[in-house]
Amino acid sequence: MKKLRLTLLILIILLNSAFATACWNYREIEKLAVVAGVAIDQGTKEQYQMTVEVIKISGGKDTKMTPEIISAEGKTIFDATRNIISLSGKKLYWSHAKIIILSKEIAENSFEKIIDWYNRDSETRPDMYLLISKEASAKEIFDAHREIESIMSLTLADIMENQISLSKAAESNLIKFDIESQLNGASQVIPTISLKQIKEEQVPQVIGAAIIKNQKLAGFLSPDETKDVIFIRNEIKGGLLTGEIQDNNTPVKFTLEIFDNKTKVKPVVNGKNIKININIETKVAIDEIEGTIKFSEDERKRIEEIAAKELKKEIENLIGKLQSEYDADIFEFGAKLREDNFKKWKTVEKNWGDVFKNTKVDVTVKVAIKNSALLSKTLKEGD
Amino acid sequence: MYKNSRKSRLESIESNKANKPENLEVSLDDNILLFKNIFKNDETLIVREFQNKHLKAAKCCIIYIDGMVNTEIVNENIIEPILHNDLSIDIESCDLLGELKKKVIVSNNVTVETEINNIASSIVSGDTLFLVEGYDKALIISSKGWQSRTISEPESAKVIRGPREGFTEAIMVNLSLVRRRIKSTDLKFKFREIGERTRTKTCICYIDGLVMDGVLDELEQRLNKIEIDAIIDSGYIQELIRDSKYSPFETVGSSERPDVVAAKLLEGRVALFVDGSPFVLTAPYIIVENFQANEDYYNNYILGSMNRLIRGLTAVTSVAIPAMYLSLVTFHQEMLPTPLLLSISASRQGVPLPTSVTLFLMLFIFDILREAGARMPASIGQAINIVGTLVLGQAVSEARLVSTPVVVITAITGMTTVINMNFLAATVIWRNLLLLGASILGIYGFLMTFIILYMYLISIRSFGVPYFMNVTRVKNHDGQDAWIRAPWWAMTTRPKIIGDKNLVRESSKKSKEK
Repeated sequence: MKKLRLTLLILIILLNSAFATACWNYREIEKLAVVAGVAIDQGTKEQYQMTVEVIKISGGKDTKMTPEIISAEGKTIFDATRNIISLSGKKLYWSHAKIIILSKEIAENSFEKIIDWYNRDSETRPDMYLLISKEASAKEIFDAHREIESIMSLTLADIMENQISLSKAAESNLIKFDIESQLNGASQVIPTISLKQIKEEQVPQVIGAAIIKNQKLAGFLSPDETKDVIFIRNEIKGGLLTGEIQDNNTPVKFTLEIFDNKTKVKPVVNGKNIKININIETKVAIDEIEGTIKFSEDERKRIEEIAAKELKKEIENLIGKLQSEYDADIFEFGAKLREDNFKKWKTVEKNWGDVFKNTKVDVTVKVAIKNSALLSKTLKEGD
Repeated sequence: MYKNSRKSRLESIESNKANKPENLEVSLDDNILLFKNIFKNDETLIVREFQNKHLKAAKCCIIYIDGMVNTEIVNENIIEPILHNDLSIDIESCDLLGELKKKVIVSNNVTVETEINNIASSIVSGDTLFLVEGYDKALIISSKGWQSRTISEPESAKVIRGPREGFTEAIMVNLSLVRRRIKSTDLKFKFREIGERTRTKTCICYIDGLVMDGVLDELEQRLNKIEIDAIIDSGYIQELIRDSKYSPFETVGSSERPDVVAAKLLEGRVALFVDGSPFVLTAPYIIVENFQANEDYYNNYILGSMNRLIRGLTAVTSVAIPAMYLSLVTFHQEMLPTPLLLSISASRQGVPLPTSVTLFLMLFIFDILREAGARMPASIGQAINIVGTLVLGQAVSEARLVSTPVVVITAITGMTTVINMNFLAATVIWRNLLLLGASILGIYGFLMTFIILYMYLISIRSFGVPYFMNVTRVKNHDGQDAWIRAPWWAMTTRPKIIGDKNLVRESSKKSKEK
């Protein structure tokens, strides 16, 4: 009896594990064609052109990793993915892919159609970074770097990870984009990538952002505008503020490093009118002063005021631009209103685009200087 | 078949006995002939006849086995007093044998015996038989004296701090080593002979009032059931009395160190000494005892706890690491960080065999190396070392027969295995089972096999004590001596179940305050 029960128990475990398993099978690691990144362009005859960067590994005494660029066309994204097998010989392995680059054409026409497969497939990961190419096509980003023999996608992933301390490109990956696109009435920003000529090489640069409105590319933001977007969204984790201060009638440039920032967006409903109050409190440190100003309490206050004024002006300009030019709510004001005042949101939900256009925004910026890094006053040469 | 032949062999021993007379004859010559017949063709038997010149009736004979007796005792304490003294003055009554025993023979242990079987077994165990003309009784004079190893530190368990004594092959010496540590009249010893042919002396040792209820009876019952013709080492008994017969996990402990055995006796366990074996058995035996080293208790408790944790964790890793590696590399590559994936992939380039096969092979080769290391004569040790390190470590991975991570995994597994030599058999078997599970079903298979192993461990009992006791419980005092070794001022109780009879072992001031 005891033995029977034990065998039954073992049988149940075995059966359960056999039925409850998901996607698995035994595959040797070296047989995988590890995809590092993918670029999608418009192909011929309404087809998609998919270009993957596969990491080609050659073993031996010193390991070499070289990129292998493979392109194929297909009616759908998955079709294109499978068509690549006929060129690569190996099945693509997506779990370690880092980057999706979309061409402008694709982003303008069929953004959500592309994203669907990456969200749905079990092998692709939601932490892939989304990028929009400002160049003519997406795949030329992969071609750019050929001489250096490093994996472009991994370089781009590093850039995306470290741009937090720059804050001039929007941060976006698949899952973040998915979550944001579920917010009613909101538009999204996605970082843009372009090629920059340095000497004889073309080097990719991730900077600035693209506005995605209703799942379609609507326009681009400059790097500084992108920083302001991040400010309003309360997502800033680093970056710099620059400004100029008059010292005895000579302009002196200064740079502040952002340490901590708190942005509060508060919609105020007053009858029919909706007003948005944005309250930004930033803690910074003086990191650079190009000149010799005597550092006193007054000077510090002046720097704080100048920086705050500058930032306020920039933000107001940006909001004005988005309200008038794109009428795209990339700041998630709608979502804030929904959280804060659901009843009001219900009444304006249907024509939020128009309401957003005419919403008054009140910006207050406060910059507080925490310290002046390692120097208390500027060193004078020959002093 | 085997059982039948064994039975008939035992029966033949019985029938041999039946043909022989059971008691001694009156005539001295008859008796000498009798023993010469019993020890036919055994040329180590020494028969020495002698007579007192004053008392002619004192016609004596001693019989003993060469090499088993201390000849000085025989010469000076038996032969000399009878040959040199004027026995006609000393002997007063007509009971010559009794008078000789009382007044002449100088020995601390003399018994009167009539049964031939008992006499014969006394002779073979090193006593001297003393026969006198005209008596159907004989004296057995204790004269044991043979060469044995001196007490030295055991090779298998050396310590940096702690006593350096180890058991020897002589049972009485071993008993004295334990007795010297526990000077209590409650320490009891019970002898018995096991083995039809070898008549191996064994001794059950326990502390009255401390020993766990039932274990003593159970042990005696299990010993009674043993029907075997030879016991060469305590390992025979260890296997014959154990619970869960087919298990690779030991449920009877063995130790070569008297301090360890004394400590176990003091926790309520029973020890079994076997003559001829320096390994003393202890029961009940639970899994945490595999990880308890005597040094843990002598060193600082933090160091002891740390070392014990290392032993416990390496026991898990030595079983699980190859299977985990295999399932990550061949099933769940998405769980690896990208740089690691790429470097493993690079090292796998051009390796002809699948990862699972290379792992099985390398682990098997490691087992071969380990066995070679244990068996080889010291003079060719270097050759084995070179083969092991150069050929297997370097050449195999350079020739791309095996990927380098597999060599690393094998090395880690090997190292962690050596830390826990106590259950080597279990480690080897379950490591391969886990690897098999992982190679079929990946992490699912690995976890499934691991759960089965866990359930199996929980199901084992040793003399009624759960084998997995105290491993999973940390409540109250249960965990104080399992994964860690609590400081002595906190270890106020003996382990549960085993020490239930007299739980409190310490009532110092500090522990009373609690």
